[in-house]
Amino acid sequence: MDPSEVEFLAEKEFVKIIPNFSLDKIYLIGGDLGPFNPGLPVDVPVWLALNLKQRQKCRILPPEWMDVEKLEEMRELERKEEAFTPAPSPYYMELTKLLLNHASDNIPKADEIRTLVKDIWDTRIAKLRLSADSFIRQQEAHAQLDNLTLMEINTIREFLLDSLNCMYKLRSNLQPGSSKGRFADY
Amino acid sequence: MFITDIKKGFYDVVVNQRVALLVAADIDALCACKILQALFHCDQIQYTLVPVKGWQDLSTAFLEHKEQFRYFVLINCGANVDLLEMLQPDSDSIFFICDTHRPVDVINVYNDTQIKLLIKEDDDLGVPAYDDIFQDEENEEDSGNESDEGSEPSGKRRRFDEGAVERRIERQRAKREWEARRREILFDYEQYEYHGTSAAMMFFELAWVLTKDTKDMLCGFMIRSHKILCSRLSMKYVSDIATMQRHVSRHSHRNEDEENSLSIDCMRISFEYDLRLTLYQHWSLYESICNSCYTACGFQLWTLKGQKKLREFLADMGLPLKQVKQKFKSMDITIKENLRDVIEESSNKFGLKDVRIQTFAAHFGFQNRFLASDMVHAAAALLENTEREDNDTTDNFITALDSLSRSNLDRLTTGIGLAKKKLIAVQQTVASCLCTNLIMSQGPFLYCHLMEGTPDVKLFSKPLALTLLCKYLLKAFVAFTRNKRCKVLPLIMAAPKDVEKGTVIVVGIPPESETSDKKNFFGRAFEKAAESTSSRTLHDHFDTSIIELKTEDRSKFLDALITLLS
Repeated sequence: MDPSEVEFLAEKEFVKIIPNFSLDKIYLIGGDLGPFNPGLPVDVPVWLALNLKQRQKCRILPPEWMDVEKLEEMRELERKEEAFTPAPSPYYMELTKLLLNHASDNIPKADEIRTLVKDIWDTRIAKLRLSADSFIRQQEAHAQLDNLTLMEINTIREFLLDSLNCMYKLRSNLQPGSSKGRFADY
Repeated sequence: MFITDIKKGFYDVVVNQRVALLVAADIDALCACKILQALFHCDQIQYTLVPVKGWQDLSTAFLEHKEQFRYFVLINCGANVDLLEMLQPDSDSIFFICDTHRPVDVINVYNDTQIKLLIKEDDDLGVPAYDDIFQDEENEEDSGNESDEGSEPSGKRRRFDEGAVERRIERQRAKREWEARRREILFDYEQYEYHGTSAAMMFFELAWVLTKDTKDMLCGFMIRSHKILCSRLSMKYVSDIATMQRHVSRHSHRNEDEENSLSIDCMRISFEYDLRLTLYQHWSLYESICNSCYTACGFQLWTLKGQKKLREFLADMGLPLKQVKQKFKSMDITIKENLRDVIEESSNKFGLKDVRIQTFAAHFGFQNRFLASDMVHAAAALLENTEREDNDTTDNFITALDSLSRSNLDRLTTGIGLAKKKLIAVQQTVASCLCTNLIMSQGPFLYCHLMEGTPDVKLFSKPLALTLLCKYLLKAFVAFTRNKRCKVLPLIMAAPKDVEKGTVIVVGIPPESETSDKKNFFGRAFEKAAESTSSRTLHDHFDTSIIELKTEDRSKFLDALITLLS
């Protein structure tokens, strides 16, 4: 899976916007949206919010978790805990990136939020690497990881599977090249 | 016809249509186009962008697109000729013209159906009243009948009583008088060429009305304004600047409520005092001083004495040469801190009273800070890029357009590089012109001709670059010459345009003075002179004071011009 595909999935998340135009309910396959009234907050998917924002037709309200204090707490918790803590949102990294890139003027303290989210991400990825390392070192058969987000799984997947394949090859003492392609179908 | 409500009269009309944008290749048009594009993007209006260089380009572009489009938006071109006469459009094509060129052609003003002028009527246009220049149809008809009757066999004519004949003579005399007056009025009206409110300003106001004005737009808009600030200062523009400053403060105010909450990546625009040194933030201070018009003319840097003076100036500020000659960005931070005050203080001592000017600056990110004037130079350099092989107007236009947006910093950097080269070339040419006395006083005007084979001559075959050189040269000449009479003369400059075709490009600029309205009378004069000598000229540029001329016809053209103007 490509990171862009994950981002695409994240764009289905809902976010609150304050439109500056009025429009009746619109009926889409994914569900009905609206009605839009100037000044009244309304929930829309991120893709629509960004489109409207780029056309200067709305103001985006940051999601609740996108707040400096809450994120600071989460960062502390994440650093303290051994295991993964629940992520602020299943798509926190993607949403932060999308919203901060396109609507940084609507989000208060955008720079701090960017740093905090990056900190959380770094901590989590470090944990993930560490657990992957011990997983391989101890030759476990299975491991359980809670509270991982799609993007995180996606980041580690390639690396982990490749290394597992390599390990397997080395262990079963196969000649490299004799069984090419047999392990490619992960 | 003037459009009074730009939203209703223009935007609401084109909002669901396909529009052809015909844009002249100058900085104002570039900025206006940028703003309009942003608006069109917001409302998802389809448009086709065609950069045009001159009247011929405009006609071909129109011919190519007239089948597909009904609405044409002309930016900075078209107002000063009878457009319908020139393009011969179908009767359902509609032209929106936003043009800074004045005077506006009277036929454009009084055409109610096809020509819509996006020009503020209170712009002291001085358009002649309708009755003074157009006769009512009936009246025309009447006189037509009259002359028909007059041509009838004389036998019939005798039957008219004396009174009728007298009435007719009376009417004819009135008509002659009216025509003479009409000519006079039109002559007065069309005599001078000048510039009105910038096109970018019009479109920015439109954006403001639509509440879609953003900082990026404002940025484009103020860039434009800066050009006004430096080149065409007069009372009218001062009020424009004030309007703009209000816009700027409105925008920055919006962010101050949440104090320091705005991301560093967002653009901030400020209206502040800065130095009158070109590109100094992207150059070294030394080179900037050497190549800025203001300081170079002030010190007269093309003389040995001037160079000495510059050294004294630097010594006076206490800046070591090593620091001054390195990149401004890497200059010692302690020097940079109060650099502006130091420079101002010292330059006051050296007689450069107004080295500090008010200007707009845009900041974003940690290291990007651009002055409006620098952006103008960079965009102009990109627009007339002569370094590229293919040298295509459209490409250059698009590149210049791109350089104005924030995401294309590398384009802008290229532009700044080109602008530096251009400024150095201008500076060197000015120095060589002054030192070798190339500027001749021809009586009613000064004349300077760039020889074929002068370095950088290719650069000056472009109108914007040549105009820049002209202004610079005239300023330098006024500062340099001791002849008082010469100080108030306008300047005509000729530079080789195309060696193979044997043409030169001729530019006339009004005299250098603080008070005058900067109205340019060369447009008419060029036309007349060309007519009387039947020189082979090409009045293709939208500015009538820029023409092309066959090299062989130059001397007779000049002679005619001298007799015409003296």
